[in-house]
Amino acid sequence: MLSLIKIEWLKIKKYPAFWWMLGIVALTYPGVNLLFYNVYQQLTEKKDFTSTIAKQLFGNPFAFPETWHSVAFFSSCFVIVPAILVIMMITNEYQYKTHRQNVIDGWSRNQFITSKILDVAIITIVAAIMYAATATGYGLTIKEDNTAQWSEEIKYIPLFVLQTFAQLTIAFLLGFLIKKAFIALGIFVFYFAIVENIIVGFLRFKKIPAGRFLPLEISDKLIPGPKFFGRFNEEAYKLNLSQINEHIVYTIVLTTGIWALCYYIYKKRDL
Amino acid sequence: MESILELSGITKSYGKIKALQNVSYQVPKGSVFGILGPNGSGKTTMLGIILNVLQSDNGSFTWFGQPSSADTRKRIGSLLETPNFYHYLSAVDNLKITQAISNRGTEADIHKALETVKLTERKHSKFSAYSLGMKQRLAIGAALLGNPEVIVFDEPTNGLDPVGILEIRELIKELASQGKTIIMASHLLDEVEKVCTHVAIMKRGTLLTAGAVDEVLANEDIVEINSANNEGLQQLFTNYSGVTQAKHNGSHLQLFFTYGTANLEAINQHCFNNGIVLNHLQLKKKSLETKFFELTND
Repeated sequence: MLSLIKIEWLKIKKYPAFWWMLGIVALTYPGVNLLFYNVYQQLTEKKDFTSTIAKQLFGNPFAFPETWHSVAFFSSCFVIVPAILVIMMITNEYQYKTHRQNVIDGWSRNQFITSKILDVAIITIVAAIMYAATATGYGLTIKEDNTAQWSEEIKYIPLFVLQTFAQLTIAFLLGFLIKKAFIALGIFVFYFAIVENIIVGFLRFKKIPAGRFLPLEISDKLIPGPKFFGRFNEEAYKLNLSQINEHIVYTIVLTTGIWALCYYIYKKRDL
Repeated sequence: MESILELSGITKSYGKIKALQNVSYQVPKGSVFGILGPNGSGKTTMLGIILNVLQSDNGSFTWFGQPSSADTRKRIGSLLETPNFYHYLSAVDNLKITQAISNRGTEADIHKALETVKLTERKHSKFSAYSLGMKQRLAIGAALLGNPEVIVFDEPTNGLDPVGILEIRELIKELASQGKTIIMASHLLDEVEKVCTHVAIMKRGTLLTAGAVDEVLANEDIVEINSANNEGLQQLFTNYSGVTQAKHNGSHLQLFFTYGTANLEAINQHCFNNGIVLNHLQLKKKSLETKFFELTND
């Protein structure tokens, strides 16, 4: 395992595009949350009636302990950015034909896929560190009078890790099967931003519960909307919270299945 | 003789196209084994199968007497089809990856391999900045890294200038003299004839012949003779015992005998006894090129 990490490190340590993209990933999480925080501040900072109502409605989603949940939710909407990195890392191997050279030089086909799991895991960890640092930063900066412990919602860290890994796994699968970076990325963005949302919305409208079993929705359900969403539809919010444990299992099963499929395909196909 | 590689009944199809049909042969240890064939004959497909980047439909092969595995591939330096490297990395950084995956050689060996293929001056340049010939040299350097006991080359002189071709030929001879086993697919018949000890000739996925170069070429003896009286010479050998064919090749007369039956002394004596003095008498081998076209022409 360590030798695979070492070899992956040799591949990326002098790859400028990787570091640029990683820098963008690192800036995305504080950036998007700052955007949402600014919107929140504009709605609540005035001393008028509207701001008071808004404050009562939203609470403070960026203060401890709610920051763990809110920042995870807002950050998860931008998984597309690390997905670019994941797709780039697998399609580069096809472009340079190094996926076959690695095997010729002495890797087993399974080792190649394992090295890609490690890449996805490392990018997930970087994303999770940036999320946790952003959430901590807001939590420490924003003082709120409440009796809750700072760590009460910390479960969203592992949930964010699992969700990010699962969704990046789907991005990897597209890159792995399609082999062309732009096509894979285009399909991922189109499906992530448009197709699945339309299907989920349509099924919800028709009161068909199957929408939560769509590939990205399975792990989207790990991090429901922030607490203030409950003030608009408490019943739906509580249902979402109650389904988290179930979706942990579904996400693990789907993600494991995708990697098993990658191992199988790579073992069988011509390189 | 001990075999390094043994193929048995390898078959591979791409849809309706049969790329390899029941190919079997052995590569003896220490041989320089040339694989010849026109475009589309299945040479690269076969190398792809033995290096595990392609899956055969049927048949099996062993390396070093063992089933092929990642560990056996680590003992083989290979250049298959094109030089495959990370474009954004330098030669040194690319070979560090080769070294880390194959466990062949050390950091010092990387510099030695680059020196062998004359890339020392450009070892820190990015691969993307290399010319075609330099890329090919780097791929050869990667194959040589850590002094592997077996080297597989697919068209090793592709993209090289005449000096580069000569250097690679000398390099192959030198590696062969060190006892390495070299498996080499090539279009260049002259190249193969000059360096190979064994040869396999393929056509449309079928193995036409395989074995030691001398055995493959020598299915008949060709005796070349010449004298001041060539007309009389041809008449003299019209009914000579053992001659299967007599024909002129330039100023010489060529006499064809079944392999191993030509007796130069008897031929010389026969001419002398009949009043003809030879000024040229030579037992010739068929050239690989002649043999290749004989086998592969429809």
